[in-house]
Amino acid sequence: MAQVVLSREEGIINQLKSRFPDVIKEVKVDRARRVTITFDKDHIQELAKFMRDEAGFDHVIGIAGIDYPTHKKIEVLYFAASFSKPDIQDIVVILKTELPRDNASIASVVSIWESAHFHERETFEMFGVKFEGHPDLRKLLTLDNWDGPPPMLKDIKFPEMGQR
Amino acid sequence: MTTTPTQAKPPPPPITITKTGEPSTLDVSVGPQHPGSGHFRMLIRVDGDYIKSVDADIGYVHRGCEKIAEYRNYVSNIPHLERPCIIDAIHLNWGYVLPVEELQGVEVPPRGQYISTIAAEMNRIMSHLYWLAINAGVFSGHTTIFMWAFGDRDLFIELAEMLTGARLTYSFIPPGGPRRDLPLGFEDKLTKLLDYFEKRLVEYDRIFFSNPLVIARAKGIGVLKREEAIKLGVAGPVLRGSGVKYDVRKVEPYGAYADLDFEIPTYEEGDSYARFLVRFEEMKQSVRILRQALEKIPKGPIARKAPLVAPEGEATGRVESSRGEYAVMVMGDNSDKPYRVKIMNASFRNLIALPYLIRNVHVADMPIIYGSLDYWPVEADR
Repeated sequence: MAQVVLSREEGIINQLKSRFPDVIKEVKVDRARRVTITFDKDHIQELAKFMRDEAGFDHVIGIAGIDYPTHKKIEVLYFAASFSKPDIQDIVVILKTELPRDNASIASVVSIWESAHFHERETFEMFGVKFEGHPDLRKLLTLDNWDGPPPMLKDIKFPEMGQR
Repeated sequence: MTTTPTQAKPPPPPITITKTGEPSTLDVSVGPQHPGSGHFRMLIRVDGDYIKSVDADIGYVHRGCEKIAEYRNYVSNIPHLERPCIIDAIHLNWGYVLPVEELQGVEVPPRGQYISTIAAEMNRIMSHLYWLAINAGVFSGHTTIFMWAFGDRDLFIELAEMLTGARLTYSFIPPGGPRRDLPLGFEDKLTKLLDYFEKRLVEYDRIFFSNPLVIARAKGIGVLKREEAIKLGVAGPVLRGSGVKYDVRKVEPYGAYADLDFEIPTYEEGDSYARFLVRFEEMKQSVRILRQALEKIPKGPIARKAPLVAPEGEATGRVESSRGEYAVMVMGDNSDKPYRVKIMNASFRNLIALPYLIRNVHVADMPIIYGSLDYWPVEADR
């Protein structure tokens, strides 16, 4: 395979690193067009604002939670992409942060990325992550008679579905 | 710890719109009904004949697809992950398989890529015809286009059955490449069908898209401006109807799309009629893509063997489904089952546009706006 040029991906990383030297913990170019950035959860809003206003990532495709019961942490992933800047339209930046499992809370980014509204509600419901400052943090998908813990956590098992 | 939902519980209090309204307003629950594409409820607040606000209440068809995906192995996941949007099964299947292939390091041979592309574009036409019949035709009270589009859709379904063996839920693309090569005589049949369909598209235009009644019902209704569309992060024809030229087939080509010549139809108006026209033009482009793909398809193997296990790591793949960008993040953990599958689909993203569009409009315009979004509740609920 031909050598892939990753100058745009590295440009985004360098931009972020020089702006937030203490916030960014780890950066990784997974492959062309995919960048994963691990950051400190307290600075999500500054980072999101920078990503939107200066880097041009104007919307989120989705927000994913990942539960790690053995490490006692929940990871939250923001998939940010751009409509308005044609030269970076194909890049997806994955902003990743860790939250403690027993008290998972993080500032909401709805005021910055309005597209995060329903994604934050879903992650709140499925993983119990509290998005502080969200205008309308209610249940979204589960049945009204679901009174168990957030169902996507790994210790909620459904034996009738098989072994995991 | 094992928890299951409790069975016997008092009925929950009725959900109300959180902010109290003016004395002149009335809260109406629309649904939970099946408005052509799945169970779904809207809580609307009306003042006379005007809708003041709307709150989407979704989740009636939530199946926990992402949770089930953690219990099934990579191949067994395909049938249930394509079910959320059965009329668009190829795209949901392909969107999930792309990141799995990326994790496993499998490369699909060129002929396999072309066959998947042919199946996907046929599926796009079928999905748009379903939309034209139900979400545009029936919702605007146009029963002729319902019959025409549904009848023509069946011709494509028959060809899809010939190619994949199933009418709607194909499970056609496992990791490594499509399951079957093009059957004998398929090219001729598809070419004939495309000739017929192109003539029909002209008739669709005459009876529906240029129909003054349809234009009067849809034009200027439910306007989503370009800036709003970008801010809300909507996807697919809803986005392109607001003037944003964004299509995953172009910005991040997968399958055989890099070799094929086609255009991305966009309209600046952002109203329901613009979204209608985007889908109409997309059907024309799909015909163009299918003709080229049949012409250019190379010879050779169609699939490679893929391992059953995926290594540790995350991969995000995306395809342009009929409703818009369909992205899936798959996380492997060295076993035959994914550790986490995250589905990011267009219907769930377009849901946020609903309160923006259904605001200060007549109650009678609501079905048109809802239909123009081509919202698929089951896909959104997963």
